Amino acid sequence: MSQSSGRGRLAACAMLVVLLSAACMAESPPTASPTEPATGGPPATPADQPTDAPATPDDGRPTAPATPDATPEATPTTGGTVRIAMAGFPDYRNPGNGVLAEAYTLYELVYDTPITITADGQYVPELASEWSVSDDELTWTLTIVEGATFHDGEPLTAEDVAFTLNLYQATEDFPFLPSYTAGFTAVEAPDATTVQITTEEPIGNFESRMVFMYVLPQHIWEGQDAATFENAEMVGSGAFSLAEYDQGISMTLEAVKDHWSTPPIVDRVIFQTIGNPDARIAALQQGNVDMITEFPATAVNTLRNDPNVEVLIAEPITGSLTDIFFNLVDPADCPEDGVCSGHPALRDVEVRRALAEATDKQQIVDVSLLGLGEPGLSLVPTGLGDFFAAGVQDYAFSVDAANQRLETAGYVDSDGDGIRECLADQNCPTGDLTFRLFYPNDSDVAPREADLISDMWQAVGVSVQIQALDPDTLTSVCCPTFDFDVIRWGWGSDPDPAFLLGTVLCDEVDSGWSETGYCNEAYDALYAAANVETDHAARVDLVHQMQQILIDDVPYIIAYYYKETQAFRRDTFVGWPMEDPTLTLQSAESLTTIRPAP
Amino acid sequence: MATILVVVTFNFLLFRVLPGDPAKSGLRDPRLSPAAVAALQERFGLDKPVLIATDGGDPFDSQYFAYLGALARADLGVSYAFRDRPVTDLLGQALVNTLWLIMPAQLLAIVLGTVLGLLAAWRRRTRIDTGALTFSLVMWSLPTFFLGIVLLYFGSAWFGLPTAGRGTIGVEFGSLWEQLVDIGRHMFLPTLTLALVLLGEYMLIMRSSVVEVFSEDYILTAKAKGLSTFRIIRDHALRNAMLPLVTLIALTLGFTVAGAIQVEAVFSWPGLGELTVRAVGQRDYPVLQGAFLLLAVSVVLANLAADVVYGWLDPRVAQA
Repeated sequence: MSQSSGRGRLAACAMLVVLLSAACMAESPPTASPTEPATGGPPATPADQPTDAPATPDDGRPTAPATPDATPEATPTTGGTVRIAMAGFPDYRNPGNGVLAEAYTLYELVYDTPITITADGQYVPELASEWSVSDDELTWTLTIVEGATFHDGEPLTAEDVAFTLNLYQATEDFPFLPSYTAGFTAVEAPDATTVQITTEEPIGNFESRMVFMYVLPQHIWEGQDAATFENAEMVGSGAFSLAEYDQGISMTLEAVKDHWSTPPIVDRVIFQTIGNPDARIAALQQGNVDMITEFPATAVNTLRNDPNVEVLIAEPITGSLTDIFFNLVDPADCPEDGVCSGHPALRDVEVRRALAEATDKQQIVDVSLLGLGEPGLSLVPTGLGDFFAAGVQDYAFSVDAANQRLETAGYVDSDGDGIRECLADQNCPTGDLTFRLFYPNDSDVAPREADLISDMWQAVGVSVQIQALDPDTLTSVCCPTFDFDVIRWGWGSDPDPAFLLGTVLCDEVDSGWSETGYCNEAYDALYAAANVETDHAARVDLVHQMQQILIDDVPYIIAYYYKETQAFRRDTFVGWPMEDPTLTLQSAESLTTIRPAP
Repeated sequence: MATILVVVTFNFLLFRVLPGDPAKSGLRDPRLSPAAVAALQERFGLDKPVLIATDGGDPFDSQYFAYLGALARADLGVSYAFRDRPVTDLLGQALVNTLWLIMPAQLLAIVLGTVLGLLAAWRRRTRIDTGALTFSLVMWSLPTFFLGIVLLYFGSAWFGLPTAGRGTIGVEFGSLWEQLVDIGRHMFLPTLTLALVLLGEYMLIMRSSVVEVFSEDYILTAKAKGLSTFRIIRDHALRNAMLPLVTLIALTLGFTVAGAIQVEAVFSWPGLGELTVRAVGQRDYPVLQGAFLLLAVSVVLANLAADVVYGWLDPRVAQA
């Protein structure tokens, strides 16, 4: 497996969509990655407010609309219960087992990590006040802060950090976290404030790996079978501690008022699962909740017109993308157990380029998402900051250019049925450019998009047979079976591009990570170089070159990057960090900053 | 018992002939490392043969017999999707939630359906009859989720009723009464939705049944004896007219236990229906097998209850 990890399309779509069904129904091409939505940053200074503010009885937030000026004497400046309605619910309290985005929201609030990422994509200190790499780039040294404590009062030391990293690496049953420690040969704590990590070879994305290393208390986890440990108490060192957990219904988090770094201003946060998006919206408008995490694009205007509600539309830092990808596997190179029934014409790069030119991404965004997205470029979403190859030129939408390209390549409609014929030596199943197009049936927007794609490609003499498949079946025809022509699906990205870029390596064709069967040694060489490149600017340059290759070879057409929708009430809590376009409002950075409305 | 054993076996085989590998999708990550997949398969016994072991060893060392053995110990296994939760746990919690939803709804629908049906039959061809008939037909034919969404919208916009959940979470209630009011407010819309849908069907059956009974000779006799209409209905018509309704109630009761799926989806009610739908998507065999077993048992029990009630309503059945 490639060095970085993350969750893949399947992680992204198969399960997220299924589980987090409402989320993906809105076709938030699921933020499958352990979306660490921008936590940390400089401590929100809750200017020495009293920890137990008097005269702020927490009444659990009345459902009646708050009337700020009616009761001036009860104006709380601290305290209060924030209610958040979300579409799904965490799958595990054990952070190693978590898959769903909601689970990572919980982990982020309850645990601290050595390094964290801010909303603008900067890696900043959390438990590690500083970190450095040796001259040979094989030993990383982290300095752990003093004074951090777990929720049970035990001090958090470098031993806990080293124990955690070793535990994640050793527990093969954990789906994702072990891969963030891939290539570590030893993790040690020579003293109470120092952690030393030695690696096989230099690691280019060290900081991004530390973002998911939720530090566990050694005194609780030692001796447990990590893979099956329920972790019901969830003792961590984060700004919130778990108070109640009612699987599938709600969870209550109490503020850790004496948190070592970022004590919250509010008293508690309640996450309630409301699967039905209409019910979530109604709950927000009624004032039953203060914030909702996601809702369909069709509701944006309704909520914008509500004077008590503020709508936030942003591309999260761990963006997600929707793609159209091709089966490029030659039956001669079929993986073991593969079917490799891909349409031969799709192995001709000129056909793929023509399809890219024939695809009007902006129209897909406008029609399918009502504008809540932006046309995609490659496997690196814009949320990843400078890794996004802004300078790389995409194929301009042009039916004429696509037609011209196909004519030049020899694909002509010789029988006049509107569909171009294959080349003589291609041995196509129907003899012409008729492709099967599959999409996951758990997405609300996919059917419309499949129709749009069909119409667009029809205009250049390409016929499409559309079929919806459940994500599980889609997985089984996809990879490494390669029993398809074209699939419209999606990925959630890590904050680091290594994971997604690693899915198109030659080595991943047999493993199932590669969805296309694409293999380009020049690309693989760039990837290997980027993996061990610790200089950020140099790594960015390599990542841009890789994206250029993906544009040239078109294994993927990236239809769009999805934007997330969130909304909150203005009249109950203030200080939501609105100004940052990538922030998710349920993040620790956000929930430690907000305060009751005056 | 035989019925249940057949159901158990059928369920077991049904889920295993479906495409898709639970070790990959059911265990949540289709692209786990091979080592992790192998470890998980071993833990859940998925590395064993499905029905009968033919590799020369113990022929009963298979998934099927392991399942039967566990079942005999009332052990439904551990969910593939929530690996730290036993299936009995998940099902038990969901069943309680579902019963909270369907019991009041069924009760309401039975009482109102019976009364409306009786009233419509008694006042046949009047405005009451036409009104009740139209209302019931509309309710019966309305898609449940649509009715749910409409009620959700108006209920929350006009009456400020909560749209999800079983109660306000994280609130200290001043008294038991306040808590009951809160629960009642939360339950109102889902219960009403389910009750309305059930009511239409009950009313229609009740009405036609009573109309039929009213044309019987013994009703004419009763009238000739000069009995009041109330006494005719109470002593002569109602009991006989109830028989078809009891059958229907028993049938729906059994099936609604498996989850008023659409109502649960609209009102985010964490009941059996929602659990089952989720388990289907995840190929969570243990949960599905458990849920279907529960469904089979509840249908069998509901039919048993119907037979008992039959005997009470109609002594001829008990004697036969």
